[in-house]
Amino acid sequence: MEDEDELPLFAAVSSSARQLYLLLRCINFSEKAHVQISEEGLKFSVDEAGVMEGFAFLDKSLFTSYTFRAPPPQRSSIRDSDDEEDEEETSTNPTFQISLPSLLETLQIFGLTDPNNSKPPWARDNPTSTAFSNNVLGMNNMCRISYDSFGSPLVIVLTEASIRTTCELTTYEPAFADEIPFDRQSLAFKTIMRGTWLFDAISELASTTPARLTLVARLARSQKPYFALSASGPLGSARVEFNNNLAPSTKPPPPTNPPSVENPAESPNLLETFQLSNPETTLRYTYKFSLIQKAARAMSVATKVSVRGDTQGVLSLQFMIEVEAGKVSFVDFRFVPLVEKDGGEMDDETVLEEGEGSGSGMEDEE
Amino acid sequence: MVVLNFTLTPEAAAKVHDLLVCLGKFSDTVAIEARRERFTFTALNSSKSAYAALTLDGSQFFTSYECVPTHGGPDSRFTCSMYTKALLSVFKGRLYDPLGRDGAIDRCEVTLQDRPDQTECRFIVKMVCNQGVIKTYKLTYEAVEVMHALFDRNVAKNRWSMHSGAMKEYIEYFGTKTEMLDIYAGDDGRAVFKSYTEKVSNGKEILKHPLVTAVAVNTSDFEEFNIQAGLHIIISVRDFKAIVIHADTLKTSLKAYYSYPTRPLQFNYGCDGLSCEFTLMTSGDYNAVPASSPAPAMLSRTNSRAQSAATERTENRSMRSEMPPPAEPASRRSARRRNPGSRKVKSPKRAEPDPDSLFVTQEEEDTRWDPVDYNKEEETLGWDASAEHDAAIFPTFRDSGSLTRTETEDSNEVLAPTQRVSQIKGLW
Repeated sequence: MEDEDELPLFAAVSSSARQLYLLLRCINFSEKAHVQISEEGLKFSVDEAGVMEGFAFLDKSLFTSYTFRAPPPQRSSIRDSDDEEDEEETSTNPTFQISLPSLLETLQIFGLTDPNNSKPPWARDNPTSTAFSNNVLGMNNMCRISYDSFGSPLVIVLTEASIRTTCELTTYEPAFADEIPFDRQSLAFKTIMRGTWLFDAISELASTTPARLTLVARLARSQKPYFALSASGPLGSARVEFNNNLAPSTKPPPPTNPPSVENPAESPNLLETFQLSNPETTLRYTYKFSLIQKAARAMSVATKVSVRGDTQGVLSLQFMIEVEAGKVSFVDFRFVPLVEKDGGEMDDETVLEEGEGSGSGMEDEE
Repeated sequence: MVVLNFTLTPEAAAKVHDLLVCLGKFSDTVAIEARRERFTFTALNSSKSAYAALTLDGSQFFTSYECVPTHGGPDSRFTCSMYTKALLSVFKGRLYDPLGRDGAIDRCEVTLQDRPDQTECRFIVKMVCNQGVIKTYKLTYEAVEVMHALFDRNVAKNRWSMHSGAMKEYIEYFGTKTEMLDIYAGDDGRAVFKSYTEKVSNGKEILKHPLVTAVAVNTSDFEEFNIQAGLHIIISVRDFKAIVIHADTLKTSLKAYYSYPTRPLQFNYGCDGLSCEFTLMTSGDYNAVPASSPAPAMLSRTNSRAQSAATERTENRSMRSEMPPPAEPASRRSARRRNPGSRKVKSPKRAEPDPDSLFVTQEEEDTRWDPVDYNKEEETLGWDASAEHDAAIFPTFRDSGSLTRTETEDSNEVLAPTQRVSQIKGLW
């Protein structure tokens, strides 16, 4: 293979290993990650026991240069059977597995410093720095990724100042081909909110050390969106509710409240989008809490998250992560739901109704 | 049926967080006592040497407070116990943020669900956040009876008070591994806070390294300082640190009340409807108090000590006449019980030759490891309340201590036989 073509299959240069690291770190919950190289970018996917998947897409726009030379179809003859089951159009795109922790280690080999503010004070005002010095040109934190041909290692070359590190990561045959089926055409519900809200809620619920996470979405009276996450553990239960335009924030504060409580910079809506396929019913899905928690890293760095559930209960969390001002990347997660028994649901239902009742009572008091 | 509802401002909720952090350093569980007009968190540590009670005033601390305990009496109360960790996961830090950022709350509503018609008993905390997020926690609790440590401030003549901020600077010097804190009022207008660890060696290995840090503070730096000169009192560094750090969150003055070693010590502070009391066990085993400690207690003690050389009967008698000591760990008690031997040995030796002087070789820290061979002393529980029985350990203070002792011994020599005879008659 090599003799007929010296040019690598894929080569890309990024000026910031940090950006790649930040994105890939979000899906760092498994030993091996599948990498698929395509014309648009690099797709990393990670799988956990077939019930959870995480994807990070490194768009070609993240790289200063991106060269992908699609191999001719016959090149992938050894892997045809595998790929044709998956998707026809990507059959020629190289797919392999690598060790994700090793890749992350490699990317942060020079530390995780943001080149823009990492310079020590004495270096910032360096009189010898010119318009063409490495710092100014953004050349001091270069990362070059290349993949020569099928079966060759993934080569990562990191350059900082005068130090150059070359890492060769062994690539493995792809192991799985099936993604968790998520039916975009039959969504049961969809909501978009800030990633930190979700992160806050999940870390809040984690304090009860729960096994399961229940997601409830419905339209309350007067078509008010209601989205809640609840979990219960040995020490008690916890529920985090998200309400748009909650009564207390629109009403004038009670005289007993300090003035600082009323924040003038009120965010317009907690839930930017809220769609339910069937507004009459209350949607309730249950997931394994420890799996959802694995997406916590993405939640903490994401600017926005789109929470979607299809009619089968498969949950998709899509995180919009701003790696650089104005430049967004996406990290996706999919979760297979737990099948709930009726008894458990009834129990939760009573809790929910009771909670809502006391909530409205509280509003009346004011 | 118990009704308990209250609402907290973000500031108050943050204070609850702070106090729970403090209580968490004492105990895994925190007990709650709700009365009609106040709400108290209490914690007792596992060795029962430290007790904390933090009382929130119903009208001052809360936005609204309503508590109707089961039985309508004025002294009725609702008590329960919960995991400190569970409460802390609810009352997190950053509840109060003047800028109203994420995590800050608008208010905190607490309800107790404890009714026969409800299937679950829960302590329900509802955090209402600014942007429309409501976090509801339903915590399980255990119904327990809550005990309180009693402390008589009238007896505690030794008092000092200092701003917690200054005190917090001092505790930063204490070694992290140190265990004991000796508070000593010197004659030279200074108070010394000395943190140290008893050296424990196992053969050649030293298990605990002795590190002593002494912070000397001018008594003029105290807001109030009224301590008997030369008085040593020993408490746990860990407890003291926890108290000072919490007091510092309130930016108040820390007040200490105590009488003499082995009697409880109380720290007290508070503001804005929150009043905090910490009652700590003290020890003074390795330190001395000069002669002028409380007279009656001392008399009976020296009395018994003088006579114990001859008979144990008198010891029994004097024990009965004294107040029982506060609850303390058994190890400490046994160590102290053995101590009188060494002291008794040493002080009479200075004053006059004593038959007991054959014990003179066993002294200082070795005494702790001696077998319990003081048969006569086995029942001398009365020593627990002794304030000065360790006079011999630190020679510096022995002078005054032994002097008084000789005096009392002299006077007791006359009385001793009479008492003993009468007692024997009474008993047998």
